[in-house]
Amino acid sequence: MMPLKLCIPLLNDKRQDFNKLAHLWQQVDAAGEKAHVHFDFSNCDFLRPNAVAFLGGLARLIEYRGGLPQFETGTIRQEIKTNLYQNGFANVMRIDSPSWDGNSIPYREDSHEDQNSIVHYLKSNWLGKGWINVAPTLANEIAGQMWEIYTNAFEHSQSAIGVFSCGQYFPKSHELLLAVADFGVGIPSNVRHHAGKPIHGKEAMRWAFAPGNTTARELPFPRGMGLDLLKEFIRINHGHLEIYSKDGYARVDSKGEVYENLTNFFDGTLVQVRLVCDDTLYLLSNEQESSPFF
Amino acid sequence: MQIKVKELVGENAMTKADGEKVYSLIHEPLIEGQTVELDFEGVEVFASPFFNAGVGRLYADLQSDALNAGLKINHLSSFGQRVLHRVLDNAKEYYLASPAHRQAIDRIVQDTASAM
Repeated sequence: MMPLKLCIPLLNDKRQDFNKLAHLWQQVDAAGEKAHVHFDFSNCDFLRPNAVAFLGGLARLIEYRGGLPQFETGTIRQEIKTNLYQNGFANVMRIDSPSWDGNSIPYREDSHEDQNSIVHYLKSNWLGKGWINVAPTLANEIAGQMWEIYTNAFEHSQSAIGVFSCGQYFPKSHELLLAVADFGVGIPSNVRHHAGKPIHGKEAMRWAFAPGNTTARELPFPRGMGLDLLKEFIRINHGHLEIYSKDGYARVDSKGEVYENLTNFFDGTLVQVRLVCDDTLYLLSNEQESSPFF
Repeated sequence: MQIKVKELVGENAMTKADGEKVYSLIHEPLIEGQTVELDFEGVEVFASPFFNAGVGRLYADLQSDALNAGLKINHLSSFGQRVLHRVLDNAKEYYLASPAHRQAIDRIVQDTASAM
């Protein structure tokens, strides 16, 4: 069997970049089981964390299907290589190079829902590298909100290969970025099964973001609220949340919410969150609710 | 009866599985009319699956009056309080729905799950 040569382009985090990622997945999907896939970076001079998380997951997906992903390391430009080695991605490329504690936020793979490890990553490697000044209470709140992304990925995606994430800090804008990818069934597919009828991708995403709605498959008690809490947090704190899931897209920021259909997509979900890291901007939940809990 | 949540689940109260640990300890005593204190001292990070599975589902068997009288929540951070309030508002709405409506929702989810 001839190996598939996967040409990795420049990958930022705009819509056109997502389309490129979807196209990469489509090529791998079309190659079928036991495919040998060569990742060629000759035309790539930039990789955002969403692309790193996605490519890591794609390599594991190829392995899961009995294939062999091979990273053509000789085609990777030095600055990208340095970053990939530093953030721990070298392991995906089958290169024995330990990561080191630099400015990058580590790439990670989670095959199961290990909340303590993920919270440690979020608090120590993502928020707490000393590049931003966050009070412990704010760090705990942000970690809890980001966890909602992970728990949604684990609970709803049914991803056989787990969840992949990576991050970045932007010193000039004081922004933190977290990207989380899975290769599961996607939110719209879950909503369609839940409703038992065809629903457009954008309507499925709108439904999933509504308070109390959930497609969780276990019974019987009320669920949901995670995405609703996250949405509120992002909106109040001038953050930016984007979710590409199967054929549905959702964006939440301080201007509101946007839902769209996607014509070019992959089987899975890619979430990207941007947070402004100035704790004077944050509205913490300091207001003590005076009403009884029940 | 007092439950130190940190001793039960650690510093992070986030998952459905940890919520179920709490529920399994408090459900019967509350039904029997005992007073239960959930002490969250030392618990730092919260997420909705924990409260959905641990506390929100108590509404299936208990009314607000009984819960306010029987279940004491102490040392819960501001963020934890906000998550809990949101989860409980949702749970109340779920259990206030007519049984037929709730069964219809559950049946759709169950059928979907078994079909997957």
